[in-house]
Amino acid sequence: MAEVLRREVVYLITAIVTILMFIEFFFIGTWNVAEELRTWATIIANISIALGAVRLLAEHAKNVQRRRAGVWPFSIWLWIIFLVTLLSGLAGYVIKQDAMTNPLYNWLFTWPYTSLGQTLYAITGFYIFSAAYRAFRARNIDAALLLIAGCFVILTNAPIGGVIWSGIPVIGRWFLDYGQVPGMRCFLIVAAFGMLAYGFRALLGRERGFYGEVAGE
Amino acid sequence: MVGKREEEDMAIIVSGRGMALVILVLSYILFYIFMYLGRKGREIPVRTLPPMAAIPEGIGRAAEMGRPVMFTPGIAGDLNDPTQGPQVLAAISILGYIARECARTGVKLDVFMPIPTALPLTEETLRTAYMAEGKPEEFSPDMIHFIAGQSPYLTAVLGYFQRERPATNFLIGGFYYESVVMGEGGNTIGAFQIGGTANTHQMPFLVATCDYVLLAEELYAAGASISKDPDILGCLRGEDIMKFILIALMIIGFILGFARNPALINVLRW
Amino acid sequence: MSEELTFWEKLARIDRRVFYWILFIGLMIPFIRPIMFPISISPSTRDLYEGIIEMVEPGDVVVMNIAFGVSAWPECMPAFAACTKLLIKEGAKIIFWGAYYDVDLSYEEVLRRCEDYFKDLKYGEDYVYLGYYPYQEAAVAQLASSIRSIFETDNYGTPLDEIPMMKNVDKATDIKLVLSGDTGDVCDYYIRQWRIPYGVPVAEIGIAMLGSSYMPFYKSGVLFGMSVGVRGGAELEKLIGEPGEATIRMGAINISHILVIIAVVLANIGYFASRGRRR
Repeated sequence: MAEVLRREVVYLITAIVTILMFIEFFFIGTWNVAEELRTWATIIANISIALGAVRLLAEHAKNVQRRRAGVWPFSIWLWIIFLVTLLSGLAGYVIKQDAMTNPLYNWLFTWPYTSLGQTLYAITGFYIFSAAYRAFRARNIDAALLLIAGCFVILTNAPIGGVIWSGIPVIGRWFLDYGQVPGMRCFLIVAAFGMLAYGFRALLGRERGFYGEVAGE
Repeated sequence: MVGKREEEDMAIIVSGRGMALVILVLSYILFYIFMYLGRKGREIPVRTLPPMAAIPEGIGRAAEMGRPVMFTPGIAGDLNDPTQGPQVLAAISILGYIARECARTGVKLDVFMPIPTALPLTEETLRTAYMAEGKPEEFSPDMIHFIAGQSPYLTAVLGYFQRERPATNFLIGGFYYESVVMGEGGNTIGAFQIGGTANTHQMPFLVATCDYVLLAEELYAAGASISKDPDILGCLRGEDIMKFILIALMIIGFILGFARNPALINVLRW
Repeated sequence: MSEELTFWEKLARIDRRVFYWILFIGLMIPFIRPIMFPISISPSTRDLYEGIIEMVEPGDVVVMNIAFGVSAWPECMPAFAACTKLLIKEGAKIIFWGAYYDVDLSYEEVLRRCEDYFKDLKYGEDYVYLGYYPYQEAAVAQLASSIRSIFETDNYGTPLDEIPMMKNVDKATDIKLVLSGDTGDVCDYYIRQWRIPYGVPVAEIGIAMLGSSYMPFYKSGVLFGMSVGVRGGAELEKLIGEPGEATIRMGAINISHILVIIAVVLANIGYFASRGRRR
């Protein structure tokens, strides 16, 4: 009974909020009821960040409790780093209304966090390099055309392309500005319909994943 | 298109949004009709998608090699994100199918899930899949590795590749830049890879690094073809009809454009 | 017993680690000895630059949305800083806010890179930093209706009503334009919730991966301009007359792109030369 009520209440709230948003967007323009609902949604989104953190800590606490092989020392380390960052940030916020004023918090974000984040993003370049070497082979006509277009676009992005031949940026820019745009528009339209359908099923209470159910039940 | 300002007239529909309302209502009518027909038993076929046909092949490869299978849905968004949520849900539907195949063949499955709100659904999907194959004891919550944050998630998956060397990887869901790193990381260990995403900026990377890819709507169709959910299949059919309508509008607009006639543009701007 | 690979087959199967080392060493060269070539300006960047100059009048309030993390600084930050300098030159009042949890770092970095420009400005009168909002379309939609419903105070706790430049600014119609620096979907949110309903001009400052994704929006006029990756940053630096980090990085872009072409050519030579043997 409680399970049914839980599902029906979620369905009802979803339907009511959706209809109110429709009314605002198509018939009213700006409506304080819809504004209030969006404010609530933003507050709930902020709470979900905390939920994610709690879930993360719970998972790692389980690892430590069960002494999961090869993992539990790192779970302890995560707890330590989490608490140090949280407490130092809170200290900065409480004292000076700005977490970044705490030296430890500032250092953690400015040096380890920034350096590691940029390093991992930079790895992408190396992996793209090896992916291009492995995948850009003219196995058939389609692959050959893709390869040629890709080479022009690559050399358009680099100033040296214009130095090699003045026509490279012209052709490459054509691919970027006109060649690939119809395909991208198709994907955008398809994605938009996918979202419409998803929203419609959620509105009718028939999107199982939205309500936490497994497909096929 | 500019929305109505407070000082504008008493039109019922906000200016510039009339045609959007028409398309929305028309779409919903079509979706509902085909969902109704689907629930009444009318078959709505979905063409065979090569990546879906390749899933048993990938899992069979893992069984022969005695190595695990890895699945991850990417970190692009939450379940309630309008653009990423449907991708995650479609990915979890496909995960249910993969889990059943793994249970049937006795292959170890590892799921890297970076989205906290999707964890309960993932766990339930896996548990249901193993129970359906009569092997509930083979399911363990340890199959699901939860790592929050893009960089930790990426490094965890790369480390897993080097240690466990999975035979088959499934990179299906909403991805950001981790798609190319994981895809190429999987290639370094010689894994068979099936990818899928509706994020246009990541499609090229999955195409370049995976053996099979589900592009955009194929991801949603694949989820529907597995679950055989009449609602999802009905919506897919409705979307196809809407696409034909849009193609017809584009052809009409193309012809009117040559004649420099703005009639269609004025209608679409209503 | 494994067959001996021919030269051509080896050419098609070069160990990726060899390429990684070549790329790593190659990328060091332009930082030691800069390799500079003329940078042409792409239409999307020029439209972004000219759009700001044409649309922004002294005193106009502009939003700069920071939706990229520290990992995307090399791609987005040069263009973001160049646009900030341009806006300050045009006399705009700037609202900074962001949807990443490390937005404080990015904001501090913008201030550092535009230090000479900010030293004559007064916080609260010429620019303001409101802080973090959730990475969510509902938040962006609500910001368009009422900024104060999301940000009652700035990032430092000062109520918006006490900040001079925010006195008559509360909704999208009070904003002249939005520049969104992001690595994913946030510009879509601004297009759907600011540009389409309220007609607020929006431009994208994005990573290179997003260039093709947002090109349809730029081509149809939904976005008034676009800066794509490091190249976009270098173009903007050239337009504002202050070559900087992105311009220096173009040397590395030259090297890396040439190496990719060479690798692809070698792979295809090896592939075609060994195809006969495979048959």
